[in-house]
Amino acid sequence: MRNIAIGIVLAAGLAPSVAPAAVDSPFLASRVQSGELQPVDERLPDNPSVAELRPDSEPGRHGGDLRMLMGKTKDIRLLTVYGYARLVGYNTRFELVPDILESYEVREGREFTLTLRPGHKWSDGQPLTSEDFRYYWDDVANDEDLAPFGPPRVLMVEEKPPIVEFPDERTIRYTWHKPNPNFLSALAGAGPLFIYRPAHYLKQFHERYADPEELKQRVRKAGSRNWAGLHNRLDNQYTLDNPDLPILQPWHPVTPPPSDRFIFERNPYFHRVDQNGLQLPYIDRVIVNIADKDLVPAKTGAGDTDLQARYLRFDNYTFLKESEKRNDYTVRLWKRGTGNQVAMYPNLNVNDPVWRELVRDVRFRRALSLAIDRTEINQIIYFGLAEESNNTVRPESPVFKPELQVKWASFDPKRANDLLDQMGLTNRNSQGIRVLPDGRSMEIIVDTAGESTEETDVLELIRESWADVGIKLFTKPSQREIFRNRVFAGDSLMSVWSGLDNGIPTADMAPTELAPTSQVHLQWPKWGQYYETNGEVGEPPDLPEAIELLRLMEAWNSSAESDERARIWGEMLAIHADQVYTIGTVSGVLQPVEVSNRLRNVPVEGIYNWDPGAFFGIYRPDTFWLAEGE
Amino acid sequence: MLRYVVHRTMMMVPTLVAISILVFVIIQLPPGDYLESHIAELQSQGESVDEQKIAFLRQHYGLDKPVWQQYLVWLWGMLHGDFGYSFEYNMPVNDVVGDRLFLTIFVSTVTVLFTWAVAFPIGIYSATHQYSWGDYGLTFIGFIGVATPNFLLALVMLYLANVYFGTSIGGLMDAEYIDQPWSLGKFMSVLEHLWIPVIVIGTSGTAGMIRRLRANLLDELQKQYVTTGRAKGLPEGRLLRKYPLRMALNFFISDIGSLLPTVISGAEMVAVVMSLPTTGPMLLSALQSQDMYLAGSFLMFLACLTVIGVLISDLALAVLDPRIRLQGGEST
Repeated sequence: MRNIAIGIVLAAGLAPSVAPAAVDSPFLASRVQSGELQPVDERLPDNPSVAELRPDSEPGRHGGDLRMLMGKTKDIRLLTVYGYARLVGYNTRFELVPDILESYEVREGREFTLTLRPGHKWSDGQPLTSEDFRYYWDDVANDEDLAPFGPPRVLMVEEKPPIVEFPDERTIRYTWHKPNPNFLSALAGAGPLFIYRPAHYLKQFHERYADPEELKQRVRKAGSRNWAGLHNRLDNQYTLDNPDLPILQPWHPVTPPPSDRFIFERNPYFHRVDQNGLQLPYIDRVIVNIADKDLVPAKTGAGDTDLQARYLRFDNYTFLKESEKRNDYTVRLWKRGTGNQVAMYPNLNVNDPVWRELVRDVRFRRALSLAIDRTEINQIIYFGLAEESNNTVRPESPVFKPELQVKWASFDPKRANDLLDQMGLTNRNSQGIRVLPDGRSMEIIVDTAGESTEETDVLELIRESWADVGIKLFTKPSQREIFRNRVFAGDSLMSVWSGLDNGIPTADMAPTELAPTSQVHLQWPKWGQYYETNGEVGEPPDLPEAIELLRLMEAWNSSAESDERARIWGEMLAIHADQVYTIGTVSGVLQPVEVSNRLRNVPVEGIYNWDPGAFFGIYRPDTFWLAEGE
Repeated sequence: MLRYVVHRTMMMVPTLVAISILVFVIIQLPPGDYLESHIAELQSQGESVDEQKIAFLRQHYGLDKPVWQQYLVWLWGMLHGDFGYSFEYNMPVNDVVGDRLFLTIFVSTVTVLFTWAVAFPIGIYSATHQYSWGDYGLTFIGFIGVATPNFLLALVMLYLANVYFGTSIGGLMDAEYIDQPWSLGKFMSVLEHLWIPVIVIGTSGTAGMIRRLRANLLDELQKQYVTTGRAKGLPEGRLLRKYPLRMALNFFISDIGSLLPTVISGAEMVAVVMSLPTTGPMLLSALQSQDMYLAGSFLMFLACLTVIGVLISDLALAVLDPRIRLQGGEST
């Protein structure tokens, strides 16, 4: 039997069009026998996606329940993230490949032709066709009640919507007047843009299609205000809170919220198979138990979960390691994909005129960065396991350049002192603290969101080394919303947060985080607000380098070539490192990942990142399997 | 008596209205609203937010309206049994609470019974054997119960129970029984988990009750009727049960007022630490995420129970102890 299977694989390797016979999970056998489900080869698309296994993984077997822990009911949305079935998705090398789509074609960076797999079906067995895409575009994104604010911004280029066509049942074409480089990465995102909806299911809740009387009753029964509210609540493919909604992910929810235990069953119509023809996912059910997030490390240590990274922190590592043997699991250490673990943001829009003058002087920001002893932080807080680094992209990213990681990020108090002296800040008070031009002593208050002791621990170490260059640091913890509002309003001089959200970008991902494009960028909130509101609120950027960053960002937006985008990324990162807009400390901090010893195909070393990465998503949890046992 | 009851009931209405305003205002006090906390939380996990969706929700939930309008809508709904909409769970509040309420009542009732079962004998023993070794020893243990932080005790016991008995950490039953119909297995699993929260929550209550019972009983034991009874040859046990113990129970009746809300809310701190499927953690997370209708309705419910509980205990006291007069109703 085994030999035959290998023979088929070889044949498949030689002639990709001949797929091995599809194999169904025993989990569904009784439903197939009773006639409730069709046999597996009729449920799969005509040409299913054959999973490409990583070299360190092996084909597995069907069966088993995978247990996971989440902190609250809403967290079950992460199954959409982990499931990671996308129209196009990233592979482990962060290249875009078609997934739900059979293929896609891009012309001039502005015309996207998407082709569906013939015979692809929703989790309820209804066919997935271009009608589902048309329903989204015509009846959801452009419906005045459902989307009063218009289609999502990523679908607009210079405020203009695309022309969307549906030449046949399997083909969808989006055409913009100019390139839209964000389109594909939005489809591949961890929290993706869904440009399709299960039209056959949702039409019963749509004013244009449903019987008015019936719809009225449905709305009343659900306690919703109007049909749009009901439709929007039921059609969310991301949150997984509606078990009736057909989806395309590997597991579909069967437990309606609220609950403390959510069960997800295998999607009988999932479009991937392994090299032996076994329909994926291997694992029949995913069970998500809800526990308080502070209890998650303890429960993980007690072996109550088979795969866990969320709510585990590096300082839980020793505790988790201790009960490894007793509860038959292994703790692995993955690298976090953020640009920096703890970064400081001098607020270039601070209200205080004296301070504003100072923080806008690049010498001042460089001096602050040079006066941080990153080695000490790494050794004391991260046991030397992190990497001392600027707030820039990680070495895993194709646009990474090693010199940017260390630029203005070495520990050089003498040079820092020289820079500050050059700025004319030579006077010191009796305690050795420098004096501002208006006579106040140089005390920097760093706002924190008050959520982790990690930030305050790092700041405590920085406080000591800054004191040597004559700057006094105070930490001001507050609450998250207050923290943000203080920064946005310019009341805060400096704040601390994690670094770049996406530390492993490819050239094809938008460099929005590097240019003043959003209010949530803590170093230039008012410039970002100005950009976001098209100049209605906020302040226009007035530093030449920041204006240059914006210009580069626009250039990236209208570029159609990957090479050009890579060049722009390089320039923007160089400006960033040289201008020290944010002051990074360490990156590549390790994320403990608990893996049951029965669970196979989870990489030993991986990157734990939101987007790109979708946490476990790019490692394709549908190819994880449980070995016999228990 | 009837007049008193009517009067007290009438008084409850303005009290509850005042409480509802207070509750609403306090929930609204922190800056921002549910959607802002929601966005901030998503962003802190590195997730992005669809601004169009947020704008739609803000409009849909009525969060763009002035606060007083939101309050009136909520109040009007409550009078019709509609407690509003939970943003966090994306469904009506009535559906959210569900069987958590039942489990909460169950845990709390068992806890209360446990407290009584431990506190009564010890309290009586301490009072009748005042300043004996037994009195000191038991009082000492009681004080340890008060002095140990509940949540710490909970964590330590969870860990020990897991290591030595293999009990799963947190929750009230093994995971496979959640959402399943009741069965013997499920019941046993609940019992296996129940004793930790009961002991942890119980220990603090026990000590307080021992002290109060001891003090009240000591007062009575000094009285002359006890001496008389003893002189007339009543056996010690019968004497104690028949006279001073009954007199010492007044405090116990007035406790009922605060008992009702505790039975529903459970001990929040312990429930949060132990991740019990009770209402306490739900209330806390609703307050944290500014899920205002869920939190508000919860607090209102607790307020109602407190008000009703106080009424019941007042009436019970009046019935049980003729020395207590009904002065509220009389125009004095």
